[in-house]
Amino acid sequence: MKRSGGWAGFLTGAVFAAIVLWSFATSDMELSRLLSAGPRIVEFLSRMMPPDPTVVTEIVDGTAETLRIAILGTLGAVILSVPLGLAASETMAPPVIHRSVRTLLALIRAIPLLLVAMLMVGAVGLGPMPGIIAVAFHATGMLGKFYAEAIDGVTRAPIEALESAGAGRLARLRHAIWPQMAPVVARDTIFRFELNLRESLILGIVGAGGIGFYIQTYVRSFQYDKAASVTLAVILLVIAIEGMNVALRRHFS
Amino acid sequence: MTRVVDIDDLDFAHAGADLPALEGVGLGVEAGEAVVLLGPSGAGKTTLLAILDGRLHGWTGRVSVLGRPLSPDAPPPAAARPDIGFIFQEFALVERSSVLRNVLNGRLGRMSTFAALLGRHSVHDLDVAHQAMADCGIGELTHRRVDSLSGGQRQRVAIARCLAQEPRLILADEPVSNLDPARAGEILTLITRAAAKRGATTIFSSHQPELALRVASRVVGMTVGRIAFDHPVGDVSEQEIAALYRNVAQDWPIEAELRLVQ
Repeated sequence: MKRSGGWAGFLTGAVFAAIVLWSFATSDMELSRLLSAGPRIVEFLSRMMPPDPTVVTEIVDGTAETLRIAILGTLGAVILSVPLGLAASETMAPPVIHRSVRTLLALIRAIPLLLVAMLMVGAVGLGPMPGIIAVAFHATGMLGKFYAEAIDGVTRAPIEALESAGAGRLARLRHAIWPQMAPVVARDTIFRFELNLRESLILGIVGAGGIGFYIQTYVRSFQYDKAASVTLAVILLVIAIEGMNVALRRHFS
Repeated sequence: MTRVVDIDDLDFAHAGADLPALEGVGLGVEAGEAVVLLGPSGAGKTTLLAILDGRLHGWTGRVSVLGRPLSPDAPPPAAARPDIGFIFQEFALVERSSVLRNVLNGRLGRMSTFAALLGRHSVHDLDVAHQAMADCGIGELTHRRVDSLSGGQRQRVAIARCLAQEPRLILADEPVSNLDPARAGEILTLITRAAAKRGATTIFSSHQPELALRVASRVVGMTVGRIAFDHPVGDVSEQEIAALYRNVAQDWPIEAELRLVQ
């Protein structure tokens, strides 16, 4: 037993070693290149210094566009997620429907946002529109699932009580189901908006609008000092969003 | 005069259960009575009340409520349901809504689909709701959220919602089992008085005989899905009541075990 365990351990180690060696062999990783890159990195960074403050208008415009992408993307996701969430809920839809819709939502979640954004740029051209569509599509994968869970998490007893009192289906949905799921839906939507805002910052790198677009533009045109300003702005925005997230978590827990 | 409740030879078994929940039950209740169903857990009280409320199907026999025969496999028409009020053991309130909203929920069955969806209540609806809350002693809690209330207060909200329905028959399943004895007495008195004031008939279940006998006009004893006795409240003997519970302690488990062995 112990002997075979030792063999198994040796074999596992050998496999891992082979995987790592294979990765080096095919990745063009040379230590010499990394060392000689030192001065180049210093030069690159020095060209970013000092950051060019004249791009403040672009930063403000880009941030506003990112915000618009996140807002409209979230709105689109909410509109798509309400019917999909209903269809994915165990209590509202028969098994065939809710299982297939759940699989669909999982597939949507599995496609990276940047990939969707690139495809959308190809389909509708540069600008905020592909970003909005990509965010709406990508966020629906998560929001639809969360809405379904909000519906399924509702307590049944008050619904049955209203049915016993003669209240119709719509009245039960409005007065027994909705009051129970509304806070969950609000929380999930706000958290998804925060995530959308975070993800929209870099959408511009693939041409889908927002502040990330300026990073890409300035790096490609070798205006590293301007790129540095925009990068700093993005870092500050990420910190601000992180603060928002902490505040939200405190509020909702 | 037609009876409020007329049950004849009612049988019911829960899916997959070895013992029937109700067996050969017959019961007639006249308008204005306050009937208590006494008996231990598993006697069939909850099952019987759920059938009368039109929520439980798959039974056999004949059941009429308020002069309308119930279907054994479909809920009553929506228009008939507000006439039968139900007070649930676990209250079944919408926790995040206000007291008033929960009480007004009792009116939804008497409104048009559209008005009910939008919650556009008439002045009459509000009057009925406020009267129900006043009768239940929760007039000052109108705008409180239910999840901020105590158990006793919640039970009063549940009763007010039922009264707001303006039911002709009030069914209550163990309405005081979650309350201490002092509160339980108050609540049972409240239900039967409010029902009497509105000319409604009451059927409630309880396993606290001493409290129930103080407010009921008639006592129906149940064990293992059968009616053991059925008397006006003055004719019930302590021995009869004690026998209901003794059966559980001795005979029932043996009978159940024998059936399980088979």
